Amino acid sequence: MNVFIGQILPYVAVTVFLGGVTWRIWRWMIPQIVHNITLSPWPKSWSAAIVWILWQLATFWNLLKFDRPLWFGAWFMHIALFLMLVGHVLAFYTLGLQFHILVPGLITPELSLWLSFWFGTVLGLIFLLALLYLLGRRLVNEPVRAISSASDYVHLLLLIGIATLGNIMRIFPEYQVGYIPVREYLAGLFLFQPHPMPDSLLFLAKYTLVMVLMIIFPFSKLMHSFGFFWERWIINRPFHEPARGLPGAGVQLPK
Amino acid sequence: MPFVEVEGKQVEVDEDGFMVDPAAWFPGWAHYVAKSEGIGELTERHWHVIDFLKDYYAKTGIAPMIRKLCKESGIPLKEMYELFPTGPAKGACKCAGLPKPTGCV
Amino acid sequence: MSEANGLRQPKRATADLFLKLGVVPVPDGEKAAAAIGHLDEFRTKVRSFVMAMESCVKCGACAENCHTYLGTRDPNNIPAGRADLIRKVYKRHFTVQGKLFPGLVGAQDLDLETIEKWYSYYYQCSECRRCAHVCPFGIDTAEVTMIGRQILFWLGIGPQLHTATSGAILKTGNHMGLTQAGMVDTLDFLSEEIEEEYEGLKVTFPVDKPNSDVLYIPSSADFMLNANTLKGAAMFLQYVGANWTMSSRITEAGNFGYLMDQNRVMREMVTRLMEETTRLGCKKIVWGECGHGWRATKMYVPTMSDMPASRKIPMTHIHDEVEAYVKAGLLELDPKRNARKITLHDPCNYARACGHSDNMRVIMNAVVPKGAFTEMRPNREANFCCGGGSGILFDDKKMYEYRILASNKKAEQVRATNAEVLCAPCSICKAQLYPMVKEHKLPVEVVGLVDLVGNALVFRD
Repeated sequence: MNVFIGQILPYVAVTVFLGGVTWRIWRWMIPQIVHNITLSPWPKSWSAAIVWILWQLATFWNLLKFDRPLWFGAWFMHIALFLMLVGHVLAFYTLGLQFHILVPGLITPELSLWLSFWFGTVLGLIFLLALLYLLGRRLVNEPVRAISSASDYVHLLLLIGIATLGNIMRIFPEYQVGYIPVREYLAGLFLFQPHPMPDSLLFLAKYTLVMVLMIIFPFSKLMHSFGFFWERWIINRPFHEPARGLPGAGVQLPK
Repeated sequence: MPFVEVEGKQVEVDEDGFMVDPAAWFPGWAHYVAKSEGIGELTERHWHVIDFLKDYYAKTGIAPMIRKLCKESGIPLKEMYELFPTGPAKGACKCAGLPKPTGCV
Repeated sequence: MSEANGLRQPKRATADLFLKLGVVPVPDGEKAAAAIGHLDEFRTKVRSFVMAMESCVKCGACAENCHTYLGTRDPNNIPAGRADLIRKVYKRHFTVQGKLFPGLVGAQDLDLETIEKWYSYYYQCSECRRCAHVCPFGIDTAEVTMIGRQILFWLGIGPQLHTATSGAILKTGNHMGLTQAGMVDTLDFLSEEIEEEYEGLKVTFPVDKPNSDVLYIPSSADFMLNANTLKGAAMFLQYVGANWTMSSRITEAGNFGYLMDQNRVMREMVTRLMEETTRLGCKKIVWGECGHGWRATKMYVPTMSDMPASRKIPMTHIHDEVEAYVKAGLLELDPKRNARKITLHDPCNYARACGHSDNMRVIMNAVVPKGAFTEMRPNREANFCCGGGSGILFDDKKMYEYRILASNKKAEQVRATNAEVLCAPCSICKAQLYPMVKEHKLPVEVVGLVDLVGNALVFRD
């Protein structure tokens, strides 16, 4: 079992994830943007369009403007998730010394470990709270419940599960796994030199859930993370207005 | 298209009960529509509008602009709606055997 | 099956009407399979449709931002829920998760009952695109409605109103079946009216005049209901001394094809437009007050007209031209003639699809006195639809009631402005708002924007 989850499933999960995402995007590229259906007021140029799209991405601008209660849950959840993903990569790679490596003059290795710990803890809690809030909203808000299907809850529960396990491992010292065993294990996977998983039931559970998430990712609404760009590429594009003025008219516009 | 029987004649109508062929119009049709549209008995004023619409349609192939109908028939808009509660474009045209207006009306 | 399960559905067209449009209605037993075939084709052709099918996370931000949901509280009128009527089927047939776990992901086989729902809800949606404006991803649910309507059309299902109007398009090139004789007679009448109202001012309305520089495309509804819009446009064009004409072969700013069949019927209008500009020698096309039709022209003709670049003729809206002349200070306007308190309804297609929010305001501020114009809230691209968008101007009882429900939000917005005049420069908006203001007991008069321009222009010899 441990061999399957530790040494086989990771390769399956990564393959399905990358292959699935590529396949989905490839399928999006087959149909054409038939007409210019940009939303007005449209961006003046392509660079303005890209700035607008990135602005939407970074701030969840539409939610902030049109659905503030949803924005609270969604923006904090996503920003925490994003920072934690980056944090995981950096912390495991540098063993928690990422801040020291980034600003060596200012941050001591001890401070970096401390920062890494607190960033992770706070973000983890924000992430969990935001997810619970979103779950509650989905259950309580009449129209949202009406359009939800079972899978919408499954995705939330899966993330809540991962977040809860992660938080336990982070907050309670007796369940902590530590950077080193994880890094050794992951290095083994990357180098195809199998190294046993850290000996922790919680780690095993969380790690399995993450891989399940990766496997269902390309076949679920989680693809919205890529869909965002493909959709906005259609809907936020420039349009060039024809010149004003009536040919042959007695009163002509100044040139 | 469905048919309705009016005074023993088979009249072809569209989904909304408007005559399909205005040339097949006969007075009994107007009485029939007046009853079904809640207009009741047709008075001289009603006939004045109906005749105007029929003539105009025969001449131009369209129903007149409402403003023109009021002005040239001498019947103000308010009275027009009293005569034909569903409005001149629908009630009156239906009585006169004109096709139902389409588009943004 | 005319009304399935008490669904709200517009009166449907007969098979005869469809046959005239070249559509052989599909028998009930074959409808589902035919519809799946069409979906399969769309998913390989139209990316906006695929992205709408595959990007929604059901966050529900669209719900409270859609006037149809606000008016009916029907979950199928939530934009995400309405798109789901097709998305469920799409998932079942074209996605891995829907094939393997239909129950879990909310995938469903297509049956007649669902097709009846399509007919009900895709003709309650007004394609106003407020959901696209609001959606965090920009998912354009109107694209789904359009494809829903297109498939229904090919199956031989459609409202009497849209189908009969499409029939009139193929026959006459306009929605109302206007004839040249009828046009000329109406326009003569309007010339007389202008002469009476503006101290002997003589304005002519050329029809089919060869060697014209500008082709003006009026809404055919202006010939029946919105006389002042037609008059305003003619007065402006005459004021600036344009060599202009209208064409009796395309007397229509709207395009019901765009609202039902974006192929044969929509293309008929595009083709007529191209032919007439060539026949009459026009160098520019100027569009009249019509929202959906202007979008269908401005945004779709460039990709639909199949014309070489040399024969592509610039197209602008009458508001664009008036705005340019106002900005250049070339019009003498007397705002006092439009002295009543006024508010502006931004037609969806102008504000969210054609970029007209500014030009309407430039014109408005030039033709009414300072302080007379009050904005409704929200406005511009965040404005709510009048409730009649995409031609859902049905008069059968249930659908008429629906139109009034769908305009609840609009009525609330208008009432809050205390205006006496409601300017709505689009034929569908006007046709919707005339009865709407009556039903909601709003003390306002509905007018167009060019109407006000015509009324304010000071002619000097």
